[in-house]
Amino acid sequence: MASVQLTRRDFLKAMAIGAGALTVGPLLQACAPAAPSGGTPLKIGVVLPYSKVYAQLGDSITKGMQLYFDSVNNMAGGRPITLIKEDEENDPQVALTKTRKLIEQDKVDLFTGVVATPVVYALRDLLDSTKTISLISNAGGNDLTRKRKSPYIFRTSFTSWQVASPLGPWVYQNVAKSVMIVAADYGFGHESADAFKETFTKAGGTIVGELYPPFPSTDFGAFLPKIAAAKPPAIYSFFSGSDAVNFIKQFADYGLGKDIQITGSGFLVEQDVLPAEGMAANGAYSTLHWALTLDNAENKKFVADYKTKFNATADVFALQGYDTARVIVEALNAVKGDTSNKDNLLQAIRAVKFNSPRGPFVFDQTTQNVNQYIYYRQVRDAGGGQLQNAVLGKTDQPVVDPGA
Amino acid sequence: MRGVVVLALILLVVFPFLPFSYALAVLTDVLIFGLFAMSLDLLLGYTGLVSFGHAAFFGIGAYVAGIVGIHVGPQIYLTLPAALASAALAALVIGYFSIRTTGVYFLMLTLAFSQMVYAAAFKAPFTGASNGLAGIPRPTLGGGFGFADSTAFYYLVLALVLLSYWIMARLVAAPFGKSLRGIKENESRMRAVGYNVQRYKLAAFVIAGAFAGLAGALRAQFNFFVAPDTLYWTTSGIVLVMVIIGGAGTLVGAALGAGLVQVLQNLISSYTERWPLLLGAIFILFVLYAPKGMMGMVDQLNNKALHVSTLARSNVPTRDDDGRLGG
Amino acid sequence: MTSDTLSFVAIQFLNGLAYSLLLFLLAAGLSLIFGMMDVVNLAHGSFFLIGTYVGLTIVRVTGNFWLALIVTPLLVGALGLLVERSLIRTLYDRSPLDQVLLTFGLAFILMDLAKWVWGADVLALPAPDFLTGSVLLLGGQFPRYRLFVIVAGLALAAALYYLNEHTSFGAVIRAGVADREMVSGLGINIARVFSMVFAVGIGLAALSGVVAGPIYSAFPGLDFQVLITTLIVVVVGGMGTYKGSFFGSLLIGEVQTFGQALFPDLALFLIFALMAAILLIKPAGLFGREAMD
Repeated sequence: MASVQLTRRDFLKAMAIGAGALTVGPLLQACAPAAPSGGTPLKIGVVLPYSKVYAQLGDSITKGMQLYFDSVNNMAGGRPITLIKEDEENDPQVALTKTRKLIEQDKVDLFTGVVATPVVYALRDLLDSTKTISLISNAGGNDLTRKRKSPYIFRTSFTSWQVASPLGPWVYQNVAKSVMIVAADYGFGHESADAFKETFTKAGGTIVGELYPPFPSTDFGAFLPKIAAAKPPAIYSFFSGSDAVNFIKQFADYGLGKDIQITGSGFLVEQDVLPAEGMAANGAYSTLHWALTLDNAENKKFVADYKTKFNATADVFALQGYDTARVIVEALNAVKGDTSNKDNLLQAIRAVKFNSPRGPFVFDQTTQNVNQYIYYRQVRDAGGGQLQNAVLGKTDQPVVDPGA
Repeated sequence: MRGVVVLALILLVVFPFLPFSYALAVLTDVLIFGLFAMSLDLLLGYTGLVSFGHAAFFGIGAYVAGIVGIHVGPQIYLTLPAALASAALAALVIGYFSIRTTGVYFLMLTLAFSQMVYAAAFKAPFTGASNGLAGIPRPTLGGGFGFADSTAFYYLVLALVLLSYWIMARLVAAPFGKSLRGIKENESRMRAVGYNVQRYKLAAFVIAGAFAGLAGALRAQFNFFVAPDTLYWTTSGIVLVMVIIGGAGTLVGAALGAGLVQVLQNLISSYTERWPLLLGAIFILFVLYAPKGMMGMVDQLNNKALHVSTLARSNVPTRDDDGRLGG
Repeated sequence: MTSDTLSFVAIQFLNGLAYSLLLFLLAAGLSLIFGMMDVVNLAHGSFFLIGTYVGLTIVRVTGNFWLALIVTPLLVGALGLLVERSLIRTLYDRSPLDQVLLTFGLAFILMDLAKWVWGADVLALPAPDFLTGSVLLLGGQFPRYRLFVIVAGLALAAALYYLNEHTSFGAVIRAGVADREMVSGLGINIARVFSMVFAVGIGLAALSGVVAGPIYSAFPGLDFQVLITTLIVVVVGGMGTYKGSFFGSLLIGEVQTFGQALFPDLALFLIFALMAAILLIKPAGLFGREAMD
């Protein structure tokens, strides 16, 4: 570009163009697809990742929601349901922009979604200050229903503590008295590890070491020999997505599977990652609030319907979407579709109770997080290399997150 | 011409009173990124320093504004100056080392430094680590007046961005700016003539860093939140794209580019899942057909208009106000 | 040193070596493209990932890993050729900014195309049966497949070295890297050389993708993760030189591995600090020619 003398005329011209474009742009963007405003349709804003690393989860959750909504002919409280989906791209700032759009422009009646914990923390203040009734269908960071809870935010998924803590005593009794911890080095990984540590040591167990590979990691080669050298009888592990796949596979590659029992948070070996993990995951123990093989009528129907509709195997994320949709429908039915009275709606949601594929579903009245049984599972070959989580048992009582 | 400017400025000023509350939020974001991009243009378009680590200062400004706002006080005379100063200081340190290299190596060195800052923010407990820092307050002015209201905050951002633009525009028009351009065009010649090139480069780097820090602070306060991704290299990449698409070396081009990229990203992703494909295609189209960016396109349109209008008038070549030959 | 420590160091060294060689294949291609054509190819990681995807598709369809290993670089290299002819060609006399924008845009497009075709799920590329599992080596268990990576990687490195130093093709490359105009003046069709070089660079990236597949799997986001490390290697080693790519990969691979093993908290920080340190001492990289003004 040739050197330009910034004359006054140029300056003014530049300012004009700048100001004009800057104002037209956002106006254009405000014309992004918005659902029909006002009137009967029930508008539900959905913010999930549809691209990048967590796209698979965003996809599953959406499918689960659609499955349930279709089963009730897409009606809730006598109103047709409209889903307005936005891609959060696993980026807190993008999620904020999209959520603002849903609240201020589309004027959604309800908000749902969010996979990653940092993203939900970014949204929490906005949702709370705008009094947007929200049903979080994945992000499991403990604080969302503890220190940062809000009367407008419900969680239909889990807390990292809920999923991890029951495993402690169980591993001590059934697997090993000493364990090495290997978890992804970020918020959720540490929460999960801490919850296990707490209950495992309380039951009498010893932690022989802790490793926290960077997040994300593709190569665990530097850490696996360390595990081998420590010779623990078992590991407690948390990874999810591609990290989980690579960790489990490489664990087997280094021959560690022969002498070391894998235990971990259910996400390590859930249906979304089992196909890629293959036989390396066989035999792994984990806890989660659901399993594909759960033997109850609702689950059998859920799994079968999911397979028929999407030609895919359901996973815990789809289940969370499915239950979220049901909460919405039941609550709206209870208030007969009236979303204008927020207090009534909040009460209705709090009061929702039903038998979900995961077992009895009920919200904790203090934290507004779901109280649920946690299942002890083991990865087993269901024939032909098809891996599934078999259910070995469940917690005596539904696990209630302490909320503090 | 003056009429258009006044109209545009009026539009910017009265925007909050139009019934587009979401668009106001977008415009606020666009202004903030516009400032961020303009600060990079100072480095890129005027000094010829292609930095791939500008997000470092954006992020440092954001985190400092957040941490000061939460732990010390939300007063505007605390948070913003702290953010500016920290970003400038970081730019001084990083710049001092980075300007020892040039070209691709400078690019990579700035990348390295910003990734180090990212790594630190990702792990440090006082930044909220990987979960990010939430609950950042809007600035207050004392006497109970604060910028919690979105309209008030918009005006704050508008004022600061316009002020920053004015400062940067004066800088580039002044001898300082001319020296920078001289360095961009031919560094060794400037050196031969006696300029302390390194000092000029460092100055540009620090000023650019400071303004980026201001933009970051505003963003943190806008969103009440900052996450480590603000420091990640993809943020440096996207602001670089904004400057290039807008037209490097024009300042306003950077702001335009910021507007376009932000709007495109959000707009397209609302319509289709295939937004990376479309966005990537648009970038490529710009490189192929609008190499001077949006400002280049504007210039072309302007020249055509000038050409047409003067052709219509007479055959005698005349000079217009800027001393250019028309007709 | 106790035998345990010795064994630990040895295993970690081998880990690093396997990782280095994967990086080398990537870096060699990127370095070549930059050295020859002055183009910073930000889409290099995307071609790597596409290599993994194409490789696993071939394995799924034919059940033959070796076939995938041979065919994938050819297929993806051909794609590279197409991309060079249509897009990269426009960049040769343009500023690095334009290159950044164009290759960045290309990376976005490739990333989305890959997601369109192969979906968002994490996909596995199974290694051939006789290469699975581990062997007892130097007192510890080491994966057979990583041994294969080391052997194959060293063989490829040797082949590329031979190509570079002892063939006329290599001579043209080296001459072109040193002085493009001169080579053109010697009557060599520089445009054709550029196309070949780009295609080869991309082919190497894709090959690396297939070889890395059984270890890293394939998933959206891997492309950008890999890109950054590759850029570090190329810059640290020195752009455009074979020695630079090789020793750069070795250095980064081993430092990253030992860094993670010894100081996992600092791992991310460490590698960038190393790059910064090297660039400050040797601004053109370990073996690079001095950066031109």
